[in-house]
Amino acid sequence: MKREVKTKANSPAAVLGSQESYRQLVDSVTDYAIIMLDQDGHVVSWNPGAERIQGYTKREIIGKHFERFYTTEDVRRGLPGQDLKNAAKIGRVESEVLRVRKDGTQFWANVILSPLRDQEGTVRGFAKATRDLTELKRAEETARLASTYNRSLIDATLDPLLTIGPDGKLMDVNGATEAVTGRTRQELIGTDFFDYFTEPERARAGYQQIFRDGSVRDYPLELRRSDGQVVSVLFNASVYRDEAGNVIGIVAVARDITERKQAEARIQQQSREIMELSTPVMHVWQGVVVAPLIGSLDSQRTQQFMERLLDRIVETNSPVALMDIMGVPAVDSQTAQHLIETVSAVRLLGAQVVMTGVRPAIAQTLVHLGIDLSGIITRSSLSAGLQVAFDILEMQVVPKDKRL
Amino acid sequence: MPAESISVIKLRGLLLVTVPPDPDDTTVSALQEKVLQAMVQHESRGLVLDISTVQTLDSFFARTVVETVQMVGLMGGRTVLAGMRANVAVTVTQLGLSIGNALTALDVDRAIELLDAEASKELRL
Amino acid sequence: MNDLPPGEFPIGSENDIVSARRIIRNAATALGFGLTDVTRIVTAASELTRNIYVHAKSGIMRWRSVHRGSGVGLELTFADNGPGIPDVAKALQVGYTTGTGLGMGLPGSKRLTDEMTIQSEVGRGTTIVVRKWLPT
Repeated sequence: MKREVKTKANSPAAVLGSQESYRQLVDSVTDYAIIMLDQDGHVVSWNPGAERIQGYTKREIIGKHFERFYTTEDVRRGLPGQDLKNAAKIGRVESEVLRVRKDGTQFWANVILSPLRDQEGTVRGFAKATRDLTELKRAEETARLASTYNRSLIDATLDPLLTIGPDGKLMDVNGATEAVTGRTRQELIGTDFFDYFTEPERARAGYQQIFRDGSVRDYPLELRRSDGQVVSVLFNASVYRDEAGNVIGIVAVARDITERKQAEARIQQQSREIMELSTPVMHVWQGVVVAPLIGSLDSQRTQQFMERLLDRIVETNSPVALMDIMGVPAVDSQTAQHLIETVSAVRLLGAQVVMTGVRPAIAQTLVHLGIDLSGIITRSSLSAGLQVAFDILEMQVVPKDKRL
Repeated sequence: MPAESISVIKLRGLLLVTVPPDPDDTTVSALQEKVLQAMVQHESRGLVLDISTVQTLDSFFARTVVETVQMVGLMGGRTVLAGMRANVAVTVTQLGLSIGNALTALDVDRAIELLDAEASKELRL
Repeated sequence: MNDLPPGEFPIGSENDIVSARRIIRNAATALGFGLTDVTRIVTAASELTRNIYVHAKSGIMRWRSVHRGSGVGLELTFADNGPGIPDVAKALQVGYTTGTGLGMGLPGSKRLTDEMTIQSEVGRGTTIVVRKWLPT
């Protein structure tokens, strides 16, 4: 009797306490396989969680060795025995390992193995709690993939992309941001966003605008590179929120428009040059210069034109200047005033202007504006103007066979 | 430049006066005086004012020229302003000055031709 | 080029008008102005120094270079303690004259330069500042 009691007291169930309430608790757990093993690793207790996770019924498994839960490879390496030994020695072994179900499929499991001791401290068996990590692993993999996807999206963006926290510090940047600032990700993250601009106050104002309006479009700023060079950028940015709708930061994309700006400057320079080229003054005949005006005439351009025309008249000692306005799209009173001034200045030199290329529309405009050009010789075509020039110079163009 | 240094040259019934580059107001006034006396003395039919070296033509100078042109006209002569520089012409125009009914010519040669042509026109009338 | 030590020149005789023209011609040329702009500036200086001589008998002309962004300009100041201009707006109209010139002095100088400011008090004097910017 005493022996029987002792045996009972030394069995794992007895050690853990054979209370009914405890069994009920273990039986109600379905997320964990909670089982007990004897000293050698034979299954002595089995709960519904174990049946759900590992596939064996209680009847099938009681008395079977627990090595069947290990992969063939792990069994070959002697892991089942080693785990029991370690558990007995260390007290508790927790591992994340591959396990095998009844149907042979493998799954990731979190396994905790603890020794069960009697009153004398002798190991009488083991308690084993196993959790199926399949779902967790899948979720982790999904998250990892999503993160990789996001990261590669960010890095694949050719334009500098960055995220800024509500404190104005850079949270993340991509490769293009590294390239445009000339600084590495490590150098940039955590630093003050505004400090990288030639006008930090303007950058701050844009940042505040994003919080106020939710976004900004084409906000122009100038970024100072680590080498001191200044890069012109346009920012498009918006706030981003957590699931509860709270703003947790700003996503901003910058577009480097330095090249575009340089191209614009080049175009401006070219159009200035073309403007100068487009007011040539040609010495077409002894004593005659021709100045074709092309394009609209503003004050500055007319001024330049007047100076060039006068210089050429003096240089070539030409008493007649043909000013052709065929290529002038429109004449307003301001333009007409400039033309009259030019004519007056030419007269002061001792030369005469013949205005040619007066198209019907221009003639109508001049009359309707009430502009008096009566003191100026005008002709509708350049060839008619040239005839006037020859008359003034008392010259005549005669066909070859009519000459003496 | 002292007013005395202005020379009035008589040439084929015309008066030729070379205006100094940067005359002061006294010189400009003296020039007018001298020209009018020469007109009477030589019974000239015209006056050529060579202003090809003049660097600045301000409103005082312009007024004196306009007056002189009118006075010479009253005395039966025509005046030609010869050789105004391009930059001076631009400035005079922008300043809003007028030279009245003075004739203009690119240089002294052309000024003389112009006065000759004017004279033959008058003869025909 | 493009910089100029500031200076001043008193106006007290008719001959000073010629000297003032010469000084300003050198200053404007030194600062890099082209021939036509030099002529404009010198002509304006001639008008404004003559105004001093005719109306106030004496006064002073000052010059200095001024900067605006990357732009450089010439600033001329003409100050006198003369009778002053009773109606500045009227004085800027073409044809308004108090005797000598053709009434082109002030409005003409305004047209020849880029900026003109006139401060005048009757019985106290007149200060006129003009500026001309180098073309970019």
